[in-house]
Amino acid sequence: MLFAGREINQYIEQKEYIDTAVVPLIELDLGAGGIRQSSAAAEYMISLTSLLERQFKGRLLLLPPVSYPKNSDRAEIGSAIRKELESSGIKHVFYMTSDVKWRSEEDLDRLLWLPAVPVEHMDPKFRQSVMEDQLRQVLPLVLEAWNASS
Amino acid sequence: MSNNRVSRRQFLSYTIMGVGGFMASSLVLPMVRFAVDPALQVEGDSDFIVTDQLVSELTEEPIRVSFSYEQQDAWYTSEVTNDAWVYKAGDEIIALSPVCKHLGCTVQWEGSADFPNQFFCPCHNGRYEKNGNNIPGTPPLGPLDQFVVEVRDGYLALGEVKPNFIVS
Ligand code: FES
Repeated sequence: MLFAGREINQYIEQKEYIDTAVVPLIELDLGAGGIRQSSAAAEYMISLTSLLERQFKGRLLLLPPVSYPKNSDRAEIGSAIRKELESSGIKHVFYMTSDVKWRSEEDLDRLLWLPAVPVEHMDPKFRQSVMEDQLRQVLPLVLEAWNASS
Repeated sequence: MSNNRVSRRQFLSYTIMGVGGFMASSLVLPMVRFAVDPALQVEGDSDFIVTDQLVSELTEEPIRVSFSYEQQDAWYTSEVTNDAWVYKAGDEIIALSPVCKHLGCTVQWEGSADFPNQFFCPCHNGRYEKNGNNIPGTPPLGPLDQFVVEVRDGYLALGEVKPNFIVS
């Protein structure tokens, strides 16, 4: 489900079935040297998490992308979000990012780091197949977490 | 005091006006939304989307057929790709929606090794027979929806999604 007004009633009513959240993490870099990569990574991550949401709509809540400036304290962001989610009853929190600086946050469980594929100039068909390949890397990780907990 | 500086009182009154303006706009918004909505709706028209799937290649085994159209979701406008599960039953072409009737996950044909010949939903183990009929005792409460289909120059074209019309 999307964290969006029009879908949230269903979330509230069916909460017992929706035990997983996905948090897209996007580094904001508006500097001349970083802005292209930063925005391309944002596009990639939004696109990938949307596909994931569609696949698992009934059990997963997709948050709006969390965007933060370069020097943010990532550990702090990660744990604050986890706290909020877990206090509402979410059991599995997946963070998804292309930002390398998260790789050093070893305490953060279920951080899926995926190098951004520059999809912005691909034609729609090719882009779709590339994104589906990317999605196929993520699906088993989510299923695995679910199977381990049931 | 210069006239250009915002005094404390002025600041307060601007703020209050701001809030009032915001409230007024939230009163107006719903009407505008109702007025605009029908134009935004993509669904409900009876247009067909021609897929890449040759009808002559379809068999009794359901396969995934993808098709694309433009859509806007919460943060993003893009080409979305949707799927249908398509197979032949005698001469008839059956195209089922992959959207689980429980809470909307995507179902897979033979998605679980334990349940051959069924559609399986990984979210809460929902199951459906090949014709889309939901299997009692699993979470879904109705059969998978079904596409209206047409054949255009040998290719499969998918139309409106309707409640399943082959399950009796
Ligand atoms: S969404 Fe398919 S079984 Fe719950």
